[in-house]
Amino acid sequence: MKKNITIALAILMAAVTWASCKKDAPVDEDGLLITTRRDCYVSNFELLGTDFVSVRVGSADIDTTQQTIKVTVQFGTDLKNLYPQFTLAQDCKLDPKITGLTDFSDTLNPRKWTVISGDRNIRKPYSVIVSVQP
Amino acid sequence: MIVNIKKNTMQYISKYTGFASLLMALLSLSTSSCKKDSYALPVASDKLQNQAIKRTLGPNIVGQQIEFAYAMAILPSKGKLASCTAEASIAGAPGTYMENRSFHTEQTGADVGDTVGLPSVTNGTTTTVTYTVDTSAATLRYYYVIPEAARGKTVTIKFTATSSDGESISTTMGPYTIAQMDMKLNMKVSNDNMMYISIADSTVYNAADAATHAASIDLVYLYRNRPNSAFNHALVAPAADTQYLPDVTLPTGVNRTAKLRKTFNLQDHNLAPNEQYGGIFIDDIDFQQLDLTGSPNYAINLKQDAGVWVETADGKYRAYIFFNSVSNSSGSAVISMKRYTLK
Repeated sequence: MKKNITIALAILMAAVTWASCKKDAPVDEDGLLITTRRDCYVSNFELLGTDFVSVRVGSADIDTTQQTIKVTVQFGTDLKNLYPQFTLAQDCKLDPKITGLTDFSDTLNPRKWTVISGDRNIRKPYSVIVSVQP
Repeated sequence: MIVNIKKNTMQYISKYTGFASLLMALLSLSTSSCKKDSYALPVASDKLQNQAIKRTLGPNIVGQQIEFAYAMAILPSKGKLASCTAEASIAGAPGTYMENRSFHTEQTGADVGDTVGLPSVTNGTTTTVTYTVDTSAATLRYYYVIPEAARGKTVTIKFTATSSDGESISTTMGPYTIAQMDMKLNMKVSNDNMMYISIADSTVYNAADAATHAASIDLVYLYRNRPNSAFNHALVAPAADTQYLPDVTLPTGVNRTAKLRKTFNLQDHNLAPNEQYGGIFIDDIDFQQLDLTGSPNYAINLKQDAGVWVETADGKYRAYIFFNSVSNSSGSAVISMKRYTLK
């Protein structure tokens, strides 16, 4: 009986020791999990006005080869104050981060964001080209 | 062998007797702690009692009411209620009064009032109701209309009840901060007629009147039904690009600009009291913290429940204009406005 208890305790101790020594999953500088996924693209894009209502006319045209997003916005849209929203492939992240209202008024120099894959090894810059409905 | 078994059994008994005793002690302790205390009816105070609550919510705006309910009671064997007084630190505006009816809520939820005294008499800062019925308990409501003199200051209300045996008791409510902002409700604007909005005057003008108040016209209301793009209802500063003022000929001298920011579903409860979700109040602090730097001088494609934050060109006023209702067929809207003076 005593022998069985000793064995059980030993197994338990070994399990605890193994669990505590297990290597932590890797995270990046933002505390996000680094995975093995290599997908790196934008799957959807949205533009919201200051009233948090979409200003798009039709869907955004996302070209994952050219790495461009073309979007037409409603007549009268205030291009200086828009909230962009990106939907990315799984585990990707965006650089720079979107922290609030963004100025798209310089249409000759489209704004750029870089999509970074889940394994953090692939980086693809996307240009957001905004045009206003006539 | 038998001796060993007996010895082990005795050891187990000895070991678990202690454990069982501890368990029993814990059980008895928890039983006694759950024992119901005997209830004793509270003894009513033999003094005159009172209590007050503030019934209105949200910012205290000049011209609006603050409603209180003031309850007072005395043991019937000691006497009856004689009078009730509310004394404001700043005299209320005309319309300030105290109900001479004591309200109770019926099972249906309706508040029913029973007349208990003469109509209230307001003299300066004091409003008084004198009881005319033999009652030992009543709840009277007091409606303080916020005067212009209280804008930006604080107000306290001191309630006092007296009883026939000469007792008197008081309670003070507040201080309540009175908002700097003011409010104008349900202004009708319409295409090609009442379309010139002055935030300084909190008024809507037609073209002829706008010409005589040109220096204070901040916005133009218009409705356009464009086939290929959404224009709908709009508020546009006179100085905006003419593409946002299609077919509008501005009266002479109407040329000011403004900063505007669209919002949606910000249903301020003061501006839209009947809205389903109108539990939000815009207060002074919202205007103080508002930053319209870089905002355009137009807001188009507005609809019912849309709102626009505005700052006038001279930086004197910030306002929030809410669209209570719109009519596409007649090209008109009903708007309400909260306005905060900066300078």
